[in-house]
Order: sequence, then structure tokens, then C-alpha cells
Amino acid sequence: MSTLREIRTPADPARGEQARPPRFTRKQINTAIWFAVLMASTAIVLYPLVWLLVSTFKDNSEFGQNQGLIPNDPTFDNYAKVFEGIAGVPMWRFFANSTVIAVAATFGTLLSSSMAAYAFARIRFRGVGIFFAAMIGTLLLPFHVVIIPQYIMFNNLGMIDTYWPLILPKFLATEAFFVFLMVQFMRGIPREMDEAARVDGAGHVRTFASIMLPLIQPALVTSAIFSFIWTWNDFLAPLMYITSPDKYPLPIALRLYNDQTSTSDYGATVTASFIALIPILLFFLVFQRFLVAGVATQGLKG
Amino acid sequence: MFNAHKRRSILAAAALTMAGALTLAACSSDSSDPESSGSDGGGEGSGEEVTLDFAFWGNDVRADLYNQAIALFQEEYPNITVNSTFLGYPEFWEKRQTEAAGGGLPDVMQFDYSYLRQYSENSLLLDLGPHLGNEIATDGFTDQILSIGVVGGTTTAIPISTNAWGMYTNPQLLDTVGVAEFGGGSWEDYQAWMAEVTDASGGEIYGGTDYTGRIQNFEIQLRAEGNNLFNEDGTPGFDEARLTEFWESGASMRGDGASGISQQQLEEIAPLSGFGAALTASELTWDNFGGGYLGELGESYTELGLIAPPVTVEGAQDLYQKPSMLHAIAANTENPAESAMLVDFLVNSPEVGAIFGTNRGLPASADMRDGIAFEGLDEQIRAYEESIADRLGDAPPVPLVGYGSLEEKFRVLGTELGFGTISVEDAVSQFFAEMDVILGS
Amino acid sequence: MTSTVPRAAEATESLGEPQGSSKRSPRNETQRSRHWRENLAGYGFLTPWLIGFFGLTLIPMAYSLYLSFTSYNIFSPPEWIGFDNYARMFEDPVYVNSVKITAIYVLVGVPIKLAAALGVAMLLNYRDRGAGFFRSSFYAPSLIGASVSVAIVWRAMFSTDGPVDDTLSFFGLEIGGWVGNVALVLPMMILLAVWQFGAPMVIFLAGLKQVPRELYEAADMDGAGPIRKFKSITLPMLSAVVFFNLLLEIIGAFQVFSSAYIISNGSGGPAGMTNFYTVYLYKRAFTDGQMGYAAAMAWVLVIVVAILAFVLFRTSKMWVHYQGDSK
Repeated sequence: MSTLREIRTPADPARGEQARPPRFTRKQINTAIWFAVLMASTAIVLYPLVWLLVSTFKDNSEFGQNQGLIPNDPTFDNYAKVFEGIAGVPMWRFFANSTVIAVAATFGTLLSSSMAAYAFARIRFRGVGIFFAAMIGTLLLPFHVVIIPQYIMFNNLGMIDTYWPLILPKFLATEAFFVFLMVQFMRGIPREMDEAARVDGAGHVRTFASIMLPLIQPALVTSAIFSFIWTWNDFLAPLMYITSPDKYPLPIALRLYNDQTSTSDYGATVTASFIALIPILLFFLVFQRFLVAGVATQGLKG
Repeated sequence: MFNAHKRRSILAAAALTMAGALTLAACSSDSSDPESSGSDGGGEGSGEEVTLDFAFWGNDVRADLYNQAIALFQEEYPNITVNSTFLGYPEFWEKRQTEAAGGGLPDVMQFDYSYLRQYSENSLLLDLGPHLGNEIATDGFTDQILSIGVVGGTTTAIPISTNAWGMYTNPQLLDTVGVAEFGGGSWEDYQAWMAEVTDASGGEIYGGTDYTGRIQNFEIQLRAEGNNLFNEDGTPGFDEARLTEFWESGASMRGDGASGISQQQLEEIAPLSGFGAALTASELTWDNFGGGYLGELGESYTELGLIAPPVTVEGAQDLYQKPSMLHAIAANTENPAESAMLVDFLVNSPEVGAIFGTNRGLPASADMRDGIAFEGLDEQIRAYEESIADRLGDAPPVPLVGYGSLEEKFRVLGTELGFGTISVEDAVSQFFAEMDVILGS
Repeated sequence: MTSTVPRAAEATESLGEPQGSSKRSPRNETQRSRHWRENLAGYGFLTPWLIGFFGLTLIPMAYSLYLSFTSYNIFSPPEWIGFDNYARMFEDPVYVNSVKITAIYVLVGVPIKLAAALGVAMLLNYRDRGAGFFRSSFYAPSLIGASVSVAIVWRAMFSTDGPVDDTLSFFGLEIGGWVGNVALVLPMMILLAVWQFGAPMVIFLAGLKQVPRELYEAADMDGAGPIRKFKSITLPMLSAVVFFNLLLEIIGAFQVFSSAYIISNGSGGPAGMTNFYTVYLYKRAFTDGQMGYAAAMAWVLVIVVAILAFVLFRTSKMWVHYQGDSK
């Protein structure tokens, strides 16, 4: 592994500063502009979310009537109602269900997709072209037309009203999005990196685990973020496979305040969906930090 | 970072998890098998321990009511466990469609009239004939109401509740603009009254909504003329000319400065309705929608008017009672007797009636109605359905397969007429083309 | 580069062309055993995907292809009707309209969304300190799932006297609310997609993190300006990610469903302006019970997008640069 160490000399953090004469004013001006531009665009992008947050304090009857930001008559009723739970199922239960599904799905996606991506990007084997095309092909078919056949399959496996139809596919890399994403990142890694390891006698398993995975960390972090958030928000799959209300994940629970055939509580809906955002926002806050400290940013030779 | 050893253990863990998945799945399908437990010899059914799956649509409020009702049921029949599940209306039906295709319908379902024919004709629903008068008491039902759940000579569903077409008005709004309640009369009279309200308010509010967007208004006009919307054999009871006439009759209620609220404004306030947002003073709809409107209107509105729709032909029996909901049992249930007991409890029990009030509509069974102390809007609805007795005719044939699609198509074309993005002529030809597809298949 | 290890990833470049090892005659035993080892490793790594593909994806896909040639209402067995479903699409005005608005949505929405995502990603990449807050803020709109809240908030933004209307009026553009204006509903939906540009932005960011800093430092020493650095370093180094985002956003935009379904409450209105391809397909499949017609619609979409993807893959050879494939 000596070759590796030579290539991966850590970057000197001070180097950039030393290379240039100190031009503080220009840099400060640039940073100020940078900050101003980002602040302005952030304000625009966040306004609808602020509106949503404030409207959790609106009475149900204000929805559709008062489209302004400020509630006419601020109230905590929506929160009180949401924390009561739905039909005897406490709210935390839906959060727990969603967490279990999302954590398992994310783990499965990372594991199976990175393996498949490594095969597509770095191993030359018979049929790789056909399978790659097939993998891209699975992206193209609208999900809705395979709902019924998939339901029949999982029904025959006796998996209805369990989380397995939601989790098992993730361990089998059925989401081509992630496989393709990782393929693209792996192909961006200079081949010298793994070839050096191969010359040292490392097999594919070791090259994959100790060279490739660390190098595509930004892609893994990205995939983890998306996989977690998308699973958290997935509505259609749990709708099909989960029948017991105490096993519902959040996206289904959120809709239970609305019924077009009787009454809808928009206040509770908005409040519940806002609270549902908090865990994934935290997840994003934690994981986005790894986008900075990617190993790959350290001294790769181009 | 990852090393080979760690990775191996991850793989091992994954393999274990998957193996666990299969075992778990196998276990759970075993344990849900009702045959496995002993009996305790109570109740009218076999008395064995059984588990019933029960599905309904509704919001959190209705779910709470069902929970209370089912708790009562389980008190009475301790050997029967009821697992209930609920969803919003569109999701409920998407899931049922999938289950119907995949063979997994719940034992007992809250059912909708517009899907009844489809599920019945495909033998997905249990023939309730043998259970009528046994597990399911029928004394509380009139023959006319019981006959609503009969498809092709077989009773496959029991009505929970009935509703009828009616007209809601907002007395408080009418007071503000100083126009008297609509005193009844023809459709032209109604349009004139709408214009009066709109003018009196200076365009602040509207007399109503363009009613030609709702197929039910078309239907009662057809019924008044002695026709059906659709006949038992699936043919329409109207031609292009009649539909053209109907849609053209709404011209004065559409567009800018019209007597009806504009489609544009309706779009802006959605998901609220114009009536629910206090922008219109009247709305033709099913009489069980009142509670929803009161909820939308908020605390500043406490009462609604409920009167009969305009008259097409004097003395005609154009209105009818339709089940707002029914209960049905899946044909492949393993516990037909216990399922029938649950249905009986949910449609007849006065205690259940006391729990629900009119949440599911005006109860069809007199036994259940006895359990309810009607007051406020509930009493208004009860009195309304009594007051229109003269105009109530026989219910039309159970809706055709695909009726729901046609109803929605009719509504969508109505909104497009309101936007002016389609001509009446094109709308008519699109509707007939859709009928060809739906009725031909 | 003394290549002793065979380069494999070319296979992904030549989409649809199986990598025939038969083309190369085995020179010696080592070569042959290496082929065998490579095949073994390839299928080993691909095992989970293969199980998933053959076990969970392929059968339902094939079944839906079969259904597209049948009349199938979910309840009775499918009935073979040949190409009738496909022929029917061309005479279905609602279908034609849904194709039209979906095409506009893709053609206009995807470039704007990607440009916004790339622009913001590059701004965020300018420095790391403080970027975390902005990164999270820009991603936040993409966190909202397909809940009724999206419909409520977006309708409020674009209603008469809502913030968008007020802002435009301030600049003298009195166009009123967008929600009820048939001509402005599609732009409103496109803006919703652009607002949720977090996913491609994060992917661009991850890609930018992989660009070696030394390249920029070297360019700085050569005195290259920001535009030249963008053109000769950022774009080529990012091209694999640009390609990914472009392809996936196109596919995603063609399949736009949840936002339109929720905003229109499932109706595809007003006046069919949110009746996108997949929304219409869904209504046909589940509301109208015309599974065969819906399957045919799905497969027409597959073919169209597959052709687009194929063309993209072909042209990508000219502009996508893979560091791992350097020749």
C-alpha cells in the first residue's frame, strides 16, 4: 500500500494562503458579495417555508381565506391536536416507523448500490453492457404500472403489512438512480488509484472496500441523504403494503387529517407535515458536513 | 473507513437480516391464520377466536368514532378481534383496486355506491342473502333502501346511511346582502335569484356556483322528464342535444361578471369550496355535506339553510335517496358469519348510532336512528329527507362500472366551460367519446 | 500509463453493446484465468442487483408490456387487443394535451432547474465557512414530501394578492393570481420544480468536491480568469455529474407526478394544465380501471425517453470527460 500513501499526501491547509500576496480587501469584498447574493436568494427560497411555519399557528378556518403571512388569531391548537395522535396511535409512533424504514433503506441502498456500481464502473465482465443498459432502462418505466404485479409478488411472499416490501428492494439495488450516481463518481476517480492497489496484489473486494469507497465519499453521502429523505417521504409504497394504522409511516399519517368526503383539518395537516420535516432537516444538517471533508479533495493528482 | 473485515461483517449482517425477513414473514402469515386458536363458545358465530380485517375511509375524527364502536363490538363478542385500517377516499380505493387484483381484500369494508357494481359483478363481494334476517337484522330497513344494495339479484351490500340531493344556503350571508332565502321554483327562478344576490352584494359574493358542472343536476332534470341518467343496460338516457341544452343553460352563471362565482376564483380558494369560503350564498350538493361546510366556514357561521333543489317539472319524482355509504364483505373471507355480525353491529346498533351521529350520513336503519338525539344540522338533514318525500322516486339502477370516471369527466368539462377553454359543442363531443370508451369496455 | 490491469468502464460508454471478450483471443493462461476472475468478481458484486432485477423488476416490467396489448380493467382477465391501445392515444385529445404540457414542462423546467442548481452549487463551493447554513437553506424546499402542505403553500404564494402577485405588481406587472389563470398554471408548476432544485444541487456540490484543488491553483499561477477556469477546469471535470443530472432530471421531469397530483387534488386541472403524462396515466389506471391503456402509455413514454437517453449517451462521448477513463 506504499504507493497509495505517496499519492494521498494530505494537502497543506496553509498552502493556498502562502502562495498569494495578502490581498485582504479584494477577498473581503468578494466574500461580502458572495454573502449578499446568497442571503438574497436564500430569503426568496425560504419564504414559502417560513409561510408554512407561521401558518401552523393559524386556525383551520383561515386556510384558503387568509393567504397572508400573519395569522389573524394565533393559536397552538394545531400542535395540541397533532400531539394527540391519530385514532389512538400516538404521533411519535409514526416518526419511529418512518425512522426504522428510512434507516434500513438507506443502509441497504448504500451497500447494494455501491457494489453494483463498482461492478459496472471497474470490472470488465461478460454482459456488463447489457446489464448496464437494463439498469438504465429500469429508470424509465413509470412506477405506477408495476404497482399491481409487485403487490401480487409480495402478497404471495406473505409480506403484506410488514416493512419488507419497503426495505428488501433497497438491499437489492432496485433504485437505479443510486447505482448510476455512484457509477458516474467512480468513473471520475483516476484509475491510477486502484491500479496501484491491484499491482500491489489487492483483489476487487479490497480495492472496492479500502480504495473506492473512501474515494467516492461525496457520492455516498449524497446517496445517503437522498435515500433517507426519499424513503422518509415515500407515500405510494407504504400505501400499498402497510395496512395497520400503527405501522403507518408519516406520509400516510399526514393525509389522515383530510377527507374530501367529510371534513379536512388543514391546520393539523400543515403542522404535522412541518414537524415531519424536522428529523430530515437534522439528518441533512448532519450529513451535509461530510460533503466538505471529502477524502477525495485531498491532493489527488489530476 | 471500511476494511475488508468490517465489510464482511456488514455482508453477514445483511444476509442475516434478509434471512430474518423471510422467517418473520413466514411467521406473521402463520399467526394471522385464524384457525390456530381454540374456542370459548360465545356469540352467534362459531364462537372461535377469529380476527377480522376491517377497512374504511375517512379522517382522524371518523377513525376515533370507529375505534369506539369497535371497542363496543369487542366487548360484546370477546372472541372476535377487529383490526381496522383507514385511509382518505382516493387512497382507500387505490388500495382496494390493488388488493382486488392481488387477492387480498379485507373481510369487512365500508363501501361506496359507485364501485358496488364493479366489485359485485366480478364476484369479489359476499352474497349477503343467507345472512339477512340471521346475523344481519333487516327490521330497521325499508325494502326500498335494502334494494339499493342489490346487484343482479344478489344483495352484496347493506346501506349504512342515505343522502339526497339538496340545496344549502347561507342565511347569514343572505342577511348581510339583504336578499330573502330562495323560495323555490324553477331553474330559471334559481338563476334569477342568484343574479339578485350577486348584484345586491355588488359582486362581493355570489348567489351560487354554475350548477351545470355537476352531473347530479343533469340527472334530476332527466329524471323529472321521465328518463334515467344511465339505464340498467348501460345506455345513456340522454342525447347530445339534451346535454348541449343543459350546458348552454348555464351560460349566464359563467365567466366574468356572471351571477355565479368564476372558475378562476374557485381555483384560487381550492381545496375550499366557494360555499365553504363564504363566497357563495347557495350550493347544490348532497345533503350530508353540511357538516363539512360548517367546518370550512369556521366559528363565525353557525347555521345553514337546507332546501329542496329547483323544480324541473312540477310534481315529478326527480329526487332519490342514495346510500352515502354501505358495508360489504369480501367474497373470500374465512369468517362470513362473524363478518356479518360486525356489519349488523355497524349498521343497526343504536349505541353505534349514538357514537357516530350523522358522521357517516343519515343512518339508513331506523334502529340506529333511534339511538341518535338529532339536533342542529343533523335534525335539519333528517327533517329535510322527510320533507322531500313527495319528490322522492325510486333509486336509479346501481351506477355503471366506470360511473365515477364519467362523473369526474363531467365535472372537469364543467370547469373548462367555466374557464372558457372549451366550447359547449366540444365538451359534449368529448363527453360522448369518453362514454364510448367507458361503456364500451 | 503502463496498463497491466484491463480497463473495464468503457463498457458503460457503449451502452447496449455487450462487451464481448470473444473479440480478444486469449493470449495465454494468465489472460484466460484473469477473464474468469473478472467475470466472477463482476457477477459477485452484481449479485444483489441481479436478484433485484430478475426477481423484483423484470417480471412486473414484462407483465406491464404484455398488458399494454390488452384490455384489462383489473377485475377480469386481460383480453388481447393488439395495438388498439397504442392507436387510441393518437385520437385521445386529453392524451395529446398531456403530451404537450409535459413536453413544455421538460423543455423549460429542466434547463432552468439545472442552471439554478449549478449556479448555486458553484456559489456554495466558493468557500466552506458559512456554506453549511446556505446549503441547508437551499436544500430545505426539497425536503417537503408529497404532502397537502405543498399544495397549500404554493397556492398561497401564487394567489391573488399573494407574495408573487404583490412583487410583480410592485414592478408594474399587474397580472393577478396565477393559481386560477389557465395560462400561468404551467409556469407555476415549473417554478415549483425549480424551487425544489436541492437534489441536483447537492450532486453538483459533491462533484465539485471531487475536482482536485491543484488544478485551480495551477490555473491561478497561469493567470487564468474565472471564466476560463470554469470552461477549462470546472465543466470538463464536472461533466460526468452534469451528464448524470441532465439525464436524471429529464427522466424525472417526464414522470412528474406527486406535485401536480397534489396541487390539482388529483384532477389534473385547471383545464388540464396539470394533467401531466404520468398524472393522466395514473388516472386511467386506477380511477378509470383502464390498466391496459395506462400500460401502453407507460411504454410509449419508455420508448421516447429511451431514445432520448440513447442519444444523450452517444453524444456524451464528445463532451463527458471521465478521469478514470483517460486514454
